[in-house]
Amino acid sequence: MPAGRPGPAAQSARRPPPLLPLLLLCVLGAPRAGSGAHTAVISPQDPTLLIGSSLQATCSVHGDPPGATAEGLYWTLNGRRLAPELSRVLNASTLALALANLNGSRQQSGDNLVCHARDGSILAGSCLYVGLPPEKPFNISCWSKNMKDLTCRWTPGAHGETFLHTNYSLKYKLRWYGQDNTCEEYHTVGPHSCHIPKDLALFTPYEIWVEATNRLGSARSDVLTLDILDVVTTDPPPDVHVSRVGGLEDQLSVRWVSPPALKDFLFQAKYQIRYRVEDSVDWKVVDDVSNQTSCRLAGLKPGTVYFVQVRCNPFGIYGSKKAGIWSEWSHPTAASTPRSERPGPGGGACEPRGGEPSSGPVRRELKQFLGWLKKHAYCSNLSFRLYDQWRAWMQKTHKTRNQHRTRGSCPRADGARREVLPDKL
Amino acid sequence: MSRREGSLDPQADSSISPLPHLEAKIRQTHSLARLLTKYAEQLLQEYVQHQGDPFGLPGFSPPRLPVAGLSAPAPGHAGLPAPERLRLDAAALSALQPLLDVVRRHQAELNPRAPRLLRRLEDAARQARALGAAVEAVLAALGAETRGPPAEPAAAAAAAAVAAATAATDAGVFPAKVLGLRVCGLYREWVSRTEGDLGQLVPGGPA
Repeated sequence: MPAGRPGPAAQSARRPPPLLPLLLLCVLGAPRAGSGAHTAVISPQDPTLLIGSSLQATCSVHGDPPGATAEGLYWTLNGRRLAPELSRVLNASTLALALANLNGSRQQSGDNLVCHARDGSILAGSCLYVGLPPEKPFNISCWSKNMKDLTCRWTPGAHGETFLHTNYSLKYKLRWYGQDNTCEEYHTVGPHSCHIPKDLALFTPYEIWVEATNRLGSARSDVLTLDILDVVTTDPPPDVHVSRVGGLEDQLSVRWVSPPALKDFLFQAKYQIRYRVEDSVDWKVVDDVSNQTSCRLAGLKPGTVYFVQVRCNPFGIYGSKKAGIWSEWSHPTAASTPRSERPGPGGGACEPRGGEPSSGPVRRELKQFLGWLKKHAYCSNLSFRLYDQWRAWMQKTHKTRNQHRTRGSCPRADGARREVLPDKL
Repeated sequence: MSRREGSLDPQADSSISPLPHLEAKIRQTHSLARLLTKYAEQLLQEYVQHQGDPFGLPGFSPPRLPVAGLSAPAPGHAGLPAPERLRLDAAALSALQPLLDVVRRHQAELNPRAPRLLRRLEDAARQARALGAAVEAVLAALGAETRGPPAEPAAAAAAAAVAAATAATDAGVFPAKVLGLRVCGLYREWVSRTEGDLGQLVPGGPA
């Protein structure tokens, strides 16, 4: 076959192009009859090797006219010329190469080992794959969004650096019966993740594992067994609103809606709230919010912008005994506490809205006191609402409280005594 | 069609589409070719990056061997009449599409974690077909015959080209890398050539 077979540039457009025989491309390493040029063959072709191992390679020259010589040939690896002492002429047409203690491949497509003629032209090439077999993947975790799907994430063994392309395959099967299935949607929540979108059974355990394979071997993770109902998560609670509590400078009210997706699945929900000051990266977490959909943050700084987020854990789905998976945090919602000249206290816990029991010690004691008052005194109208109103009144009228933080009475400017109400009950 | 190279004479042939429509079609196809020339350059750069040195090094010069059924624009291409040039452009673009597919399949095995490269190769195959079809539409609007090969031999030629390329790369990974470089280079050359040929037909463009 003549070299330089004409393409469409030189073909006459009047004659349809003939059927093309195979191997029209002159493959590097294949001799071309009558070409007057030399080619070569490298052996081994595209070997796979362990890091630290050695390689013996040869470059055998063919040519037309015959009598091609190994004289003047040299090697490059990834474009860098290799030292002459690494090569030796085996015979008139063959140049050998010895490499020791190989490093991991520079690129996943393979290191380019090239045999050059004296004038630098490329005679042949071979790609080296130097790396490590995969280690066992571990730390598989899975969750189901609203019981409709399953997403799993894992950690590759040895931090994933094998210097070779390593394929990870997530497998799953029903524990008691059924065949192995392979997950197909990868990289959904990171490089080592997979998503199973449908056809999942409930009330029966699945076995899930990850297989890692590359040119040097394979490894399999431990098997994770789970029931979909035990790993359910939801979308974050929607419609999170944060607002001031009247004029109270140290409180904000947070309200949200329970996730609608699971409303038919007989689940309970517990919530967590976290909040932070605008300029801070430190979140404070309120844990004991149980299944209510509102909460009051107390003990905040006056005149300060707070970012608030809420998340949900749908536990007890269909009677499952296990807690679910916490949802993502809702989008941050911001609100500011009213300004005050009196510096406010530091952070505090979430407090219930008016009338609801609280876990804070002060308010707990207050509740007990109010309950006692109702029984033993004529104070039937006493309530937390009244207490909050009193606090608001206190903040407006006592602007110099900080200067007179003593119990008991202090004289007024006109000489009359006036009770100074203490900060705390 | 005027015999003067690079000009149009709508009065010469009553079968030619109305001039404004033809001009619009030529401008549109020329713009497409110009855009694809940029994409082809980006594809080439992305490609050499992922093959590793020496592919991206200045002075890297593997043998410019012919690819099955396709070669670079001939030196005499610019001297041909405009319809002939456009016919060759369309034929080359048509031949490039299956070859780019072969390269993409190889790279999917060699560089599976190079999604941008794979996407560019996939796009290039589609864009080559689209530009080829657009050039043929311009030829038809000029009243010139496309005189392409009959459907069956053309399909067989494409299949043979793919088989040749696949067989060539069975000889090793390095030849597969070189083939891909050659195909990406040819794609850039032919898209650029098409842009130049259409540019000469754009009214107000260079003669």
